[in-house]
Amino acid sequence: MRTEKPPKRLLLRLQDSHEDGESFCVTVEMSDFHNRSQTSARRSDYVWQYEYYDDEEPVSFEGLKAHRYSIVIGFWVGLAVFVIFMFFVLTLLTKTGAPHQDNPDSAEKRHRPGSCLVDIDGHQDENDKAFSRPLLAGSRSYFNFYINEEDKGHGKQKAEEKRAGKHTGARVEGTFNRNRGVSSSGMDEMEEDIEEAGVHQQLTGLIEQSKTDRECTFLSHFNIPNFVNLDHSSTLGEDDLLYEPSVILERQSKSHDAHFDIH
Amino acid sequence: MNGSILNQSDCPEVVVPNPVFFTIGAVSFAENFLVVVAVIRNRNLHSPMYCFICSLAAFHTIASLTKTLENFMIVFADVGHLNKKGSSETTLDDAIDSLLCMSFLGSFFSILAIAVDRYITIFHALQYHNIMTMQRTGAILGIIWTVCGGLGVLMILFFDFKLIMICFVILFFISLVIICSLYVYMFMLARIHARKIAALPVGGRNNHHQQRWGSNMRGAQTITILFGTLVVCWSPFFFHLVIIMVCPMNPYCECYRSLFQLHVALLTSHALFDPAIYAFRIAELRHTLRKMLLCSDWKLCS
Repeated sequence: MRTEKPPKRLLLRLQDSHEDGESFCVTVEMSDFHNRSQTSARRSDYVWQYEYYDDEEPVSFEGLKAHRYSIVIGFWVGLAVFVIFMFFVLTLLTKTGAPHQDNPDSAEKRHRPGSCLVDIDGHQDENDKAFSRPLLAGSRSYFNFYINEEDKGHGKQKAEEKRAGKHTGARVEGTFNRNRGVSSSGMDEMEEDIEEAGVHQQLTGLIEQSKTDRECTFLSHFNIPNFVNLDHSSTLGEDDLLYEPSVILERQSKSHDAHFDIH
Repeated sequence: MNGSILNQSDCPEVVVPNPVFFTIGAVSFAENFLVVVAVIRNRNLHSPMYCFICSLAAFHTIASLTKTLENFMIVFADVGHLNKKGSSETTLDDAIDSLLCMSFLGSFFSILAIAVDRYITIFHALQYHNIMTMQRTGAILGIIWTVCGGLGVLMILFFDFKLIMICFVILFFISLVIICSLYVYMFMLARIHARKIAALPVGGRNNHHQQRWGSNMRGAQTITILFGTLVVCWSPFFFHLVIIMVCPMNPYCECYRSLFQLHVALLTSHALFDPAIYAFRIAELRHTLRKMLLCSDWKLCS
């Protein structure tokens, strides 16, 4: 596709010399064929003429009000503005809303015992109803299972949930395991990221909280299995995103001596 | 005789020297071919996501190969070894153009498939392995290759019809919009969830906040680079097609058209940037490439 116009073959036109005095002239734009066209131009019956456009005359450059390359400049300026605008919109999105949630009082209220699940549910509902529910349901069953393993002092209700959750948990665990086995490449990157993020710090902090708080934090963590959780949402879409929960679980299982083996 | 013969228009065609095309072609061929080989050789990379990346690299390999071949043909024709009007040359030219068209379309569809795959990874993570099985991936890739091959042939055969160009341009814009919205959606959801985690009462909150802001910035950068490269490399060429249809005789439009070779060079350089954006960011693939390139014997280095 190296020619100047999309009809890639040159148009060879047979043209009567009497038709149009101007078109008779050797208006060849391609120097390669200059000689050929000159020799053929001597014959008055027809002319080989290479035209890039239709039958009309060549484009006239007289009387241009704006600069010749104004469309070119306008196009590239528009493109640059679009890309920069997109970048700024994305960075603005990263800055909105964050500082106020760091207030410990509001955080405590958010993680009140009874309202833990409700709170998270509410957030999910208000933000993304369509896609987050299946995720939430699946992850909640998984984490109910996990939390039941952790909190051994729970009553019958939990034991029942545990039995129910085991099946879901096993299936989900299997899914995570498969994810893990299949995209193990993301693991390395993600583990580095996690180290940088000081996950250990956060996990220790989480672990040291009260039982209810822990339950709530686990739930909130595990309700977000697909994001580059733990402060590295950078490399979107890579395997990292699938691996976050399995790594968190692994670390927590090591620290808590959980029964099930994520590996 | 017309005195003001336009021997040369006021906007002379900007010529990109052949060595530039050859360099772009050679480097992008090497990169993409290595990616294809790495994905095929490493069993860990036999998963849907890597299959799409491999398909993208394969399309780019074909594109760079055919573009280099076309450049050779043009060089030979300019020197005089080839007859530009010969039937075999035009048939070969047609074949090369349809392969180019197929590979450009294919790379675009592969990028779309990668975006959809990432979307499913994030929003349907628990059902991901049921939704995106290897059989389905194979079927999707088969469909992409067949459709692109067919469309490539059709577009070159019926290139003179404006309808083809219109369809091409509309397809391009729709795909761009889909890709952009998928990635922005993923980004926004990542931000929302990162914010939720930030709400946890954990010590070292300032550090936390800084890290979160830093990671979200990186997410914004990633998306901008990914989408920005796509738009910057592809849209000049498509704008060229639009301009041909809309204003063939306008002098301003002609000045834009004079940059055709530059736009094609940009389009082929997209094959140069894609591996860096998609493939080389995956640690496992980098590891495989290192093993392949630095170790002569595969078994020794494992």
